[in-house]
Amino acid sequence: MTRDEFERNRRRFGDTVEAWPAPFRQQALALMAEERNDDPDAALDRLVLEAALTDGDDQELASKVLARIEAGSAGPSFLARLLLSPAGFAACAAAALVAATLAGYQVARLQDDPSDTELLALASGSSPADSGVVADDPAGEGSL
Amino acid sequence: MRAAVRHEEPRGDDDLLVRIAAGSQSALSELIARHGRGLRMFATRYLGNAGDAEDVVQEVFVTVWKQAGRFDPAKGRASTWLYRITANRCIDQRRRRALRSFIGLDDIRDEVASPEADAEATTAARQELAIVRDGLSRLPERQRMAVLLRAVGDLDIAAIAEVMGSSIGSAEQLLVRGRRALRDHLAMAAVGRERKSS
Repeated sequence: MTRDEFERNRRRFGDTVEAWPAPFRQQALALMAEERNDDPDAALDRLVLEAALTDGDDQELASKVLARIEAGSAGPSFLARLLLSPAGFAACAAAALVAATLAGYQVARLQDDPSDTELLALASGSSPADSGVVADDPAGEGSL
Repeated sequence: MRAAVRHEEPRGDDDLLVRIAAGSQSALSELIARHGRGLRMFATRYLGNAGDAEDVVQEVFVTVWKQAGRFDPAKGRASTWLYRITANRCIDQRRRRALRSFIGLDDIRDEVASPEADAEATTAARQELAIVRDGLSRLPERQRMAVLLRAVGDLDIAAIAEVMGSSIGSAEQLLVRGRRALRDHLAMAAVGRERKSS
């Protein structure tokens, strides 16, 4: 921060540098501390701050934020956010797997039921008809 | 210790949040003017991607707009609250990136626009800053977060611990280790430069 920038910020934020927002505050304090010897941690912090400086337009940021607010969305929809978050994605994948497994069992059960019943009837020595299965009457066994 | 020094909180932030909770868009713009730059710097260096950082900071201020009424000045400083929201959004963003990379949707790369990359090599001071950026990008995530919260957010140890959801002792350890690693990185780079020049 140059002396001119310091003065501009003083007019903008007031005379109390400690009350300025970060990172203006640290830059101003760094400017004031340049002449005196600081501790090494503070010097490293100043270096990191300087290295982190990026260009950016706060007014543009504000207009983008306000546009998002006007649009009524803070980003993607709930479902999209759920799918994009690792936990949400894992939960959806697990739910899909469980649903598929249950559906598979259900279909298999419907297909296997008659033959299971017949096998049970055969094993117990009774006629399939006794177990509720309507069997054909081959060779007229039911007639005298 | 300098890190333990607590700066006087400007009451302006609290007032702005009260006005934002009441629906004042001008108060939100003022809060963005005060903290937007710092939050963007923090997010950019933490994520290593300027586009993601911009998106995160926008989300943060949309969240502030929606939840300003929930901020309680008795529980902490407004700046700590803002950095906490930003840190959480950054962690979410990083996880999303990692997941998208894992399922092959995109490539995980550190991309911070540095239009002065060529010019940086021209002076020793700029070279040093480039080395610091490189050192920051190599730090473990939590150490990097602690170092950035201290240097960019100007948060004290207690506030860093609050933002990171850790104990004060852990936050201090992260900061100490992060600074040590950065110093080692700078020292190694200096040795390398000396060897090159000799």
